Amino acid sequence: MRRVAIIGTGQTRHARCRDDASQPELVREAAAAALADAELRPADIDAVLLSNMELFEGRAFPELWAGEGAFACGKPCMKVATGGTSGTSACIAAFHQVASGLFDTALVVGFEKHSEGHTQTGMALTDPFWDRAVASGALGNFALSISEYMTERGVTERQAALVAVKARTNAARNPHAHLKSPEVTVEEVLASRMLAHPVRLFDMCPQSDGACAMVVASEECARRACSRPAWVKATATRHEQPYLGDIDRRLCAMRTLRDASRAVYAAAGIIDPLAELDVAEIYEPVTYAELAWYEALGFCEDGGAGRLIEDGVTSMDGALPVNPSGGVLSTNPVGASGVIRVAEAALQIHGRGGARQVDGARLALATGYGVYAWADAVVLGAEP
Amino acid sequence: MIREGSIHIPFTYAAGRAASRFLVVLRDEGRILGSPCPACRRVLCPARSFCPRCGEETGEPVVVDPAGTVVSFTETAAGVFGLVRPDGADTAMLHRLLPAGAKWTIGARVRARLLPERTGSITDIEGFEPLEATEDHA
Repeated sequence: MRRVAIIGTGQTRHARCRDDASQPELVREAAAAALADAELRPADIDAVLLSNMELFEGRAFPELWAGEGAFACGKPCMKVATGGTSGTSACIAAFHQVASGLFDTALVVGFEKHSEGHTQTGMALTDPFWDRAVASGALGNFALSISEYMTERGVTERQAALVAVKARTNAARNPHAHLKSPEVTVEEVLASRMLAHPVRLFDMCPQSDGACAMVVASEECARRACSRPAWVKATATRHEQPYLGDIDRRLCAMRTLRDASRAVYAAAGIIDPLAELDVAEIYEPVTYAELAWYEALGFCEDGGAGRLIEDGVTSMDGALPVNPSGGVLSTNPVGASGVIRVAEAALQIHGRGGARQVDGARLALATGYGVYAWADAVVLGAEP
Repeated sequence: MIREGSIHIPFTYAAGRAASRFLVVLRDEGRILGSPCPACRRVLCPARSFCPRCGEETGEPVVVDPAGTVVSFTETAAGVFGLVRPDGADTAMLHRLLPAGAKWTIGARVRARLLPERTGSITDIEGFEPLEATEDHA
C-alpha cells in the first residue's frame, strides 16, 4: 500500500438556507476551493468520490448533479453511502483508492441542502415494520439512549450544556460555520426549549446547507504539490446492527467507535490518545454524544467525560482541543459533515486553521457517526 | 428562482419469514415472539430470520413474556418512547410507554398493552404500561 496524504481542502459558507446556489453550484463551490487550495486543476484529478444522503433533498440520484459540480464528467465517480458516516467513509474510500495505486489523485466532495427537501421525513423513512410505525427521526432515536447513559455514567445536563457552549464559541472563530454564538452561556442552553428529554434545542445540531471537498494524493504527488501534507496514518470503519433495541447499552458501550478508535490507535502507534493527539474533530450530533465519545475514544475512563469538559481539557486552550471548528453542533450539512471532520483535521496539520488553528498540531483524529451506531475513525499526521 | 412541490411515495414492503410470523401471531394469538440464535444463544425480539451479530439463521421462534423492563426512554411532545426488554428476550423493543404523564425510570417494570382489534402491525401493541397498573386490572 502506498502512502497517502490530503493536500487541499475547501468548504462553502454553511448556512440554514443557501438558496443563492443550486445543488451542483454548491458542490462546485467546495470542489473548486479544494482544488485552489491544492493548486491543482480539474484535469489533475483522476477520480471523484461523493457523499450525500438519499431523500434529504427530495430528489433521486443526487450524485448525478453533485458529480457534475465536482468535475466528475468523464472520470471514475461513485457515491459512498453509510448514513452520517458517509463523508468519513468517502474519504476512507478515496484513501484506499490512492493507496492501492489505482489512482494518483482523488477528489472527495460531500454536500447536503437540507433547505430543499424535508429532512425529518427522510429520517423517518427507517424500517417500516418496527421503527417507522412506532417512532422515528434522529432526535427521538438519540434522545432515547441518553437517559441510560446519564444514569450509568452520572452525566448531568449542565455538563452537556458546557459542550454546547464550547461548540458555539469555537464556531465563532470558523468563517465557514453555520451557528456562531460566542456569547452563549450554560444558563441559556439550559433554558432553551426541550425537544426530547433531556435534549434541548441548544444541545442539538442544526440542519445546514453546505459542501466540503478535499484533494487526496499519492506520496509522490503530495511531496511535489504540497509543502505540508496531512498524511493518512490509519483508518477504520465499523458497522452495527440496525435495530435500536439490539444495540446493547448503545451510548455507554459505543462498541463501534470504541473498536474503530482502538484499531487506528494501534495502527498509528498511539498509546495515550489524550496525551499524544494534538487535536480531534469528532462527529457529535448532540452534546451528550460528545461526552459519550470522549469515553469511547479513550480520552478518559468511562464515567470521566463530565469532568473532562468541566476542566476545559477539550477546549481550545486545553490539552486536547476537540472540534475547534465548532463541530456538527454548529454546522451540519449531513453528507458533508464527515468530510468536514476530516478536512478540518487536515487543515490543522496543514497549519491553515486561521483563528481556529491549534498551535503546532502534528497528530489529529477525525471520526464519523452514522444512523444508530456506525463509526469511522481516521488519524492524520504531519509525518507519514 | 425557487420551485416548490411535494412528493407522495406509496410503498409495499415484504416483512420476510420471521417478521411475518411475529406479526401474524401477535394479531391472531396476542403473543410476542422472539428468535433464538444458535450461536450466541440470545433470544432476539421482535423475531428475526437471522442473527445480525452472528449471521446464523435463527431457530424455531419462542414466546417471550409480555412483561419486561425499561432499559432507556425519552419524553417528547409526541409521547414517551422507550426501549423495553421483555422477560425471556435478550434484546429490547422500541415502543411507546403509557401513560405519557407517568413518572418513568430506568428499570421500571412494564407490560405490553394489546389492542382488542389487531391488524398484524407492531402497533397492535399500543405500548407498555406499568406492571402494577395491569395487575390492578387483573
